[in-house]
Amino acid sequence: MTTASLGRWLSRNMGFSAALLLLAILFLTYNSLHPRGFSSAVAIQNANETVAIAFVAMAQTLPVLLGGLDLSVGAVMTLTNCVASEVLHGSPLQIVFGVGLTLLTGTLFGFMNGCIVVYGRIQPIIATLATGAVAIGLALLIRPKPGGNVDDDLSWALTNSVWDLADTYGFAEGGEAWWIRPFADIPVPFLIVVIVATLVWVPFRRSVIGRTVYAIGSAEGAAYMSGLPIQRAKIVAFTLGGFLASCGGLYLAIQTSSGNADIQQAGAYTLNSIAAVVLGGTSLLGGTGGAIGSLVGAMILRVISFYFRILDIDPLLQPLIEGLVLLTAVSFGVFRTLRVRNQLDLFR
Amino acid sequence: MKTLLKLTTALSAVVLSANLAFAGPKEVSGPGADPECFAPWSSEVKYFQWDEKPGPYRVAVVNGFVGNTWRIQMIKTAKAFAEDPTMKEKISEFKVVSTGTDAPAQLGAIEDFINQGYDAIVTIAVSPDGFDRVIRLADRNDVVLVPFDNVLDTDKVMQVNEDQLKMGRMWAQFAVNELKKKGVTSGKILEVRGLPGNSVDRDRSIGINEVLKASDGDWDVVQVVGNWDDGTTQKVVADAIAVHGEFVAVVGQGGSNGVIQALKDADHPWVPVAGESENGFRKAIAEYSDDGLKGISIGQSPGLVAIAMKAAVSALEGKPMPQLISVPLPVATYDELEDGKNYWSDLPDNFFTVNEFPPCGVNISGPAIMSQTEEDVK
Repeated sequence: MTTASLGRWLSRNMGFSAALLLLAILFLTYNSLHPRGFSSAVAIQNANETVAIAFVAMAQTLPVLLGGLDLSVGAVMTLTNCVASEVLHGSPLQIVFGVGLTLLTGTLFGFMNGCIVVYGRIQPIIATLATGAVAIGLALLIRPKPGGNVDDDLSWALTNSVWDLADTYGFAEGGEAWWIRPFADIPVPFLIVVIVATLVWVPFRRSVIGRTVYAIGSAEGAAYMSGLPIQRAKIVAFTLGGFLASCGGLYLAIQTSSGNADIQQAGAYTLNSIAAVVLGGTSLLGGTGGAIGSLVGAMILRVISFYFRILDIDPLLQPLIEGLVLLTAVSFGVFRTLRVRNQLDLFR
Repeated sequence: MKTLLKLTTALSAVVLSANLAFAGPKEVSGPGADPECFAPWSSEVKYFQWDEKPGPYRVAVVNGFVGNTWRIQMIKTAKAFAEDPTMKEKISEFKVVSTGTDAPAQLGAIEDFINQGYDAIVTIAVSPDGFDRVIRLADRNDVVLVPFDNVLDTDKVMQVNEDQLKMGRMWAQFAVNELKKKGVTSGKILEVRGLPGNSVDRDRSIGINEVLKASDGDWDVVQVVGNWDDGTTQKVVADAIAVHGEFVAVVGQGGSNGVIQALKDADHPWVPVAGESENGFRKAIAEYSDDGLKGISIGQSPGLVAIAMKAAVSALEGKPMPQLISVPLPVATYDELEDGKNYWSDLPDNFFTVNEFPPCGVNISGPAIMSQTEEDVK
């Protein structure tokens, strides 16, 4: 990449670059303040804590790109978490089937959201408010009390480093093979997020459907006049959102070895996902941004709360400080408004 | 970069070697240390013993939800207890975080404190399940993890709570005894229940009804649901009085200020009332006990956090501890109330009075908690 093209990329992705820079600063400072900073154990812990919110934030990105909001992402995560807590045990084949069933549940739920929005012609925010309640209802039906049965090996292997994964399942000479050494300390949860993001998000963004989603967000009328498949793109966007939310629910079940139809937690995840999307440089008006940005946004959200564990801050003041830091971080995105010559440019 | 690589390799080697040697508490036979304070839940409870660690210790409190009086008072109590002369020299570093109702965040915070090398972590679990991983990590790193109040459905960690069943029984027994003194042997008793579907509500109600049934009186128990909330309780009690007329006694699980207010508003004659430990309830008992408001006040104390901290320190000192600790119920009856000692006429009504556990040497009074400022924990 030449300097000029890098400059162009930066100016086009101001929000995302700012978020990335902020994350780098926050994360490096956190690690240097941590008594065991820059170690595999800390990375594993951080990754584990971030996965669920990262997936839910990525799920939220798609409806936001369309110019809407999905209030059911947290609920879909909770629903799939409860489904997963019932099916993730038994023989390896049964576990694979359980993973498939969990992801299918979320995907179908997203598909239903999309159909309601497109064919029911209901605003996404209202439609998903209702379907979110449905998802929580189903979750409570499946799991009225917290609990469940998730394969111990699975949950240990996927919440640790690559070495533990190899050690648990006995491949790559139990993690000692020469070719796995360079990756041995990488947290598995981090890899899972990266793999899903590259295999699902990147191809989607490059496809016609993906570009249509962006086009709808910036000018739905123009997209329609250009002959883009608007209805299909909307349905696919919500379906993919459901799939990503179910990835979050699945991981939550693996991480906690259980399911919990926790209404408050579902609500907190939905709201935090919106915050992460905005932090990651996606505009709430739609049309600009992306799931990778939301991933970064989710990480920022988490890193901020990590600080409370290493700094001495009064416990009752922590929510206040978290809110102030968040407000400051979100304000970075507004800086571009200071540079525009014409206020109307903001609405482009 | 190279040193960084070396550092991570060295650290991961430490982690890996720690993984190989399984640590954690040994199961031993009782009795445990200080049985007056750390009473075993039942005779079947097993005992844990950790290897003795030299003090002072680093202790963290990982709270979940924050935002009601009880939780705020709990946090203030924890801070006050860490400054208590008996604890101060044993604790070198003390931290409190609240994660909200977010399981990964709470698990992450616990794991982070384990990584930071904290010796003990005290927590109110956001969910009774899902802690397998952190329990495993805590054991491997010889960290004492102590859930209290909302405890876990496991017998692998040391936990601290009050016996809710016993609390229910004591409330009912008190009401029955007071009625006997008055010579009342039959009538309607109002039972005010808590949050439906909650194990605490279930156990307390079982205890209450068990005793009422077993007593020789002829009682007609009327149940209303008050959600442990003053406002809701006041409304449902007022409704019950409107429908049923007069009750010979009220046995309530919580929202006791609401019970008193409803009785007052309806000009209901003062009768024996059993309730929680709100300051307002105790103020009322002290004021009206001569008029017939014979009251008993037992509560789930925010001071449980102090017992959990004390238990954690005791475990770190290598003493055998029961796996499930039943904290003595903080009871005060109308004849034991004393202003400035177990209730405070100058403090707000919704303040939870019970913080003291004399058998445990936990003597943090209400004013001591209220004087805790919002400044940093130094």
